[in-house]
Amino acid sequence: MNRSGFWGEVKKNRALLLMLTPAVLFFLLFAYVPMAGIVLAFKQYNHTGGIFGSPWNGLDNFKFFFESGNAWLVTRNTVLYNIAFIVVNNVLQITVAILLFEVAGKWFRKIAQTVMFLPYFISWVVVGAIAYNLFNFDVGTINSILTTFGMEPIDIYNTPGYWPVILVLVAAWKSLGYGSVMYLAAITSIDTEMYEAAEIDGANIFQRIWKITIPNLIPTIIILVLLAIGNIFRGDFGMFYNMVGNNGLLFSATDVIDTFVFRTLISSNDIGMSAAAGFYQSILGFATILIANYAVRKYDKDHALF
Amino acid sequence: MSATASSINKASQSGGKGKRQMDKLLLQILGYVVITILAVFCFIPFLLVVSSSFSDEQSIIEEGFKLIPTSFSTEAYSLLFKYPEQMLKAYGVTIAVTVIGTVLGLFLTSMTAYVLQRKDFKWRNQFSFFFFFTTLFSGGLVPWYLMITKYLNMGDTLLVLILPMLLNVFYIIVMKSFMNSIPEAITESAKIDGAGDFRIFIQLILPLAKPALATIGLFIALAYWNDWYNALLFIQNENLMPLQYYLYKMLGNMDGMRKAMMQSGAVVNMALPTESLKMAMTLVATGPILLAYPFIQRYFVQGLTIGAVKG
Amino acid sequence: MKTKKSAALALTTVLAMSTFLAACGGNNNAAEQNNTSSETTTNQAAEGTTNAGGVDTSKEVKIKMLLVGGKPADYDQVFGELNKLVKAKINATVEAEFLDWADWNQKYPLKFAANEDFDIAYTANWAFYNDQALKGGFLELTDDMLKTYMPKTWEAMPTVSWGQAKVNGKLFMVPNNNIEVTDKTVLIREDLRKKYNLEPVTSPETYAAYLKAVAANEKGINAFGAKPADGWKWHELDQILLEQQNDWNLVDYNIPLAYKLDDATGKVFNVYDTPEFTSLITYYKDLSDSSAWSRNVVSNKNDVWQDIKAGKTASYAQNLGTVAANLTEARRDGVSFELAIADLTPDKKKISAISTQNGLAIHASSKNVERSLMLIDLLQNDKEIHDLTMYGIAGTHYNAEGDDKFSAGPSAANYTGFSNWGWNSTLNRTDVSYPAEAQSIFDAWVGKVYHFPLETFVFDDSKVKNEVANIGNVMLRYAIPLEYGLVKDLAKGQADLNAQLKSAGIEKVQTELQSQIDAFLAAQK
Repeated sequence: MNRSGFWGEVKKNRALLLMLTPAVLFFLLFAYVPMAGIVLAFKQYNHTGGIFGSPWNGLDNFKFFFESGNAWLVTRNTVLYNIAFIVVNNVLQITVAILLFEVAGKWFRKIAQTVMFLPYFISWVVVGAIAYNLFNFDVGTINSILTTFGMEPIDIYNTPGYWPVILVLVAAWKSLGYGSVMYLAAITSIDTEMYEAAEIDGANIFQRIWKITIPNLIPTIIILVLLAIGNIFRGDFGMFYNMVGNNGLLFSATDVIDTFVFRTLISSNDIGMSAAAGFYQSILGFATILIANYAVRKYDKDHALF
Repeated sequence: MSATASSINKASQSGGKGKRQMDKLLLQILGYVVITILAVFCFIPFLLVVSSSFSDEQSIIEEGFKLIPTSFSTEAYSLLFKYPEQMLKAYGVTIAVTVIGTVLGLFLTSMTAYVLQRKDFKWRNQFSFFFFFTTLFSGGLVPWYLMITKYLNMGDTLLVLILPMLLNVFYIIVMKSFMNSIPEAITESAKIDGAGDFRIFIQLILPLAKPALATIGLFIALAYWNDWYNALLFIQNENLMPLQYYLYKMLGNMDGMRKAMMQSGAVVNMALPTESLKMAMTLVATGPILLAYPFIQRYFVQGLTIGAVKG
Repeated sequence: MKTKKSAALALTTVLAMSTFLAACGGNNNAAEQNNTSSETTTNQAAEGTTNAGGVDTSKEVKIKMLLVGGKPADYDQVFGELNKLVKAKINATVEAEFLDWADWNQKYPLKFAANEDFDIAYTANWAFYNDQALKGGFLELTDDMLKTYMPKTWEAMPTVSWGQAKVNGKLFMVPNNNIEVTDKTVLIREDLRKKYNLEPVTSPETYAAYLKAVAANEKGINAFGAKPADGWKWHELDQILLEQQNDWNLVDYNIPLAYKLDDATGKVFNVYDTPEFTSLITYYKDLSDSSAWSRNVVSNKNDVWQDIKAGKTASYAQNLGTVAANLTEARRDGVSFELAIADLTPDKKKISAISTQNGLAIHASSKNVERSLMLIDLLQNDKEIHDLTMYGIAGTHYNAEGDDKFSAGPSAANYTGFSNWGWNSTLNRTDVSYPAEAQSIFDAWVGKVYHFPLETFVFDDSKVKNEVANIGNVMLRYAIPLEYGLVKDLAKGQADLNAQLKSAGIEKVQTELQSQIDAFLAAQK
């Protein structure tokens, strides 16, 4: 780009650039400058040297992760869980948003919306405690019900197989109200004339939803999925830790990068090692989002993140 | 809602009732059934929380959480409100932070989002990437902490509860995608009339973006309301402690002390109703939002309708 | 030793270089402060030796302490009193910052990383002591400094305690000075034992008989309760049945390596690879198959003591101090059943608690080093100040009962709950309500304390931290389920565990540990 072109562009857009300034400053201060801390992933941190003065130690900080024999397992688990969350959560949230929009009762709609928001407010600690009350072998609610009907009790906390289902359901449950608000807002923004036109064309209500509502939701869906994909290598620590805790029997099915790193580093408290783990997640997430964003750009430029 | 109502009217006017009414009825039934089931699943655990918060600690230990308290007790609440002024102060801090943070944050979020979605702005992708990149890479806790305490000197001030959370890339991008549905023609014609970009944003775009503002505003407000981590890191002054942190501290102090006592061999006597307390805290922290929600929701729904009509 | 010295030299060079680099890297503040502080301390130390006893306290200073725990409600009152005394004695005032139990382990390292302004910090082997010492967060304390500024402590503290507090041969902490035995005991329901006509519980066998009897006959009661979900890497009975029972000493609870107490050569071995462990997991499996503990014990989220108090659990294992405190609580609240403390290994060797379980350290960048040390001296060994800071104001927070006992005062609850244990000392008073049986067990133990050459040995795992981290994971994932009887085939489970440990690098850790121990023993001769 030639110089005058650049400055010409600046001049032309000076109002817009000015409007961006607060946000740019914000992210410079609170994100980009502290980002220099990434170097800690390659350093043996000590207080005397601080962030920049501590000695380099190459890739040593990454060793604990890759030599653990668990790197592949926890990475795979993290990604699979996140894919499941993205699919299940979004499908449910979209369904709920559409149904809420179509249902006639005003009060019903309001109350249902409020009630579905409730799980968002229950902290993971409390969710974990409730889950233990439901699932534990000896006096858990589920086993009480099973035995009342003369069935065999099930040992959920010692059986890894149940956990992917449980975790996906719990994640969906907790985010249902919060997530559907976004889709509800998108649905209400759809031009009503489009519906009326479809009606006149003789489409039934299901066709109308399929042909008009859902296509109009696509941009929102793409954006939300893309945003989630950027974090596909990060596990929701609060959820996994409070639901599973340190139950080693379940790790094969439930251990994600974040819980693994937390457990491994809790006693050594090594800043460099945790920075290394974070860097690993960042790099993978970055690569994935570049690919995903590229794919979306090919499909439609306006829907891409950048 | 007007949209649905009008389409129903249209449908009944356009004749050919039988089949069409059938599919509407079917959808209504489906809607009521599915929503009711999901709502019940969301409600029962909350009921469990409410009931347990009013249960005697002993009965929770003996029988677990119950939907109806077997022995009623308000011990957890009286413990929480042992120092009522502290609690009121904490509510005050949270409300102030939430209100200021939401208004400021929403304004900046929408202004940024507006610029990013302007198709005639050449560098919109570069800037989007500039913002988005921060969600992928982070320098970790220590440098961020140093930045805020050493260089910005915001430690132990109300500012530290507001500023670091002012903008969130997620909200900016969602806002941007919502604004994409506002016809470009509006900006173009205003420009021809000689309006500046900032004026277009304030006078034309903001009113049209009400559904998006309501949604994102709600999210920002919830984020401020629920935040305790910034307070944990930066606040020592008891008069500046927000509600969630105040509660977190109460609970954490009990658990933390038990663990420390075991490790250090030290001995301190205390018996506290941890389980019922956890539950009571959930209610104390959520209560005001739940009470306020119908009011918020009204604006929320209103905003949506205006948007729908305009759109 | 030679290699160690040159390593230390290399380390100091690196540190010096990095200090220099830091000055260029925008972190000048910290670096400068560090420089000046180390200069002043060497000056002070030098002055001290030439001018012993006559420390210059003409300028009033304010000493900032970093303590762990919730700020006590009556802090202002008690520390107000304290300041009057401290002002008179060393012309200083004290201000404490409290890091709540809820978040201290997140905040504590940050305070150091940001090099915030404080002079004294609570520390302990479980509270970042080694970590911060190695990272340069604490000031090294020399014998001269101790002799000059804390003469009373220097006199009262056993040499062993100083030795245990050293990291790589350097001292960074004034440990507490309290005789403690860390052996664990179990709490049992004495009424149930009598009900089923069982022998007194004094050994692993009689304890197993008790647990099985309760499990078989008492519906709705868990015979044994534990909360492994907390992240403890051992079965909660291991300390009793593996360590105490066999007279072993685990070097570090994060790794399964131990030596025999009476082995003068200090040969370390993997405890999971011993016949003793094989028979112990058979013992555990038998208990587990008899439903002595819940099948979901590994996920237990309930507080074990609360469960016992509620009559839902009939036994747990804990150190004597905690068991005694719980017993006191039970008696105070009048539970409807009889509880008793049982020592399952009464005839085995007892070892005293390592001194670093509690202590105070000086911040590396403190500007008031002398006065801080003098303050610690007063906290630990000045009767009036010790009583005040440990128990609060007489008549309000506690009542003195003679010279070495106390009873809770009317507002005892307003001055408790934080880490004033950091300056525990021989001046500590015992609570009059402390159960007599716990006291007698303790007295018997103290008489049997066994001293051994490796008593002051502390493992420096900085060279094998990756392996140690991974071993911890293996223990949680393979050892815990095996020990709680959740693995059907014991032999295979044990083999799996050891195979996993091997690939996590246990041999490397063992070699490193052994060489450190050998060097340590050689240096002692």
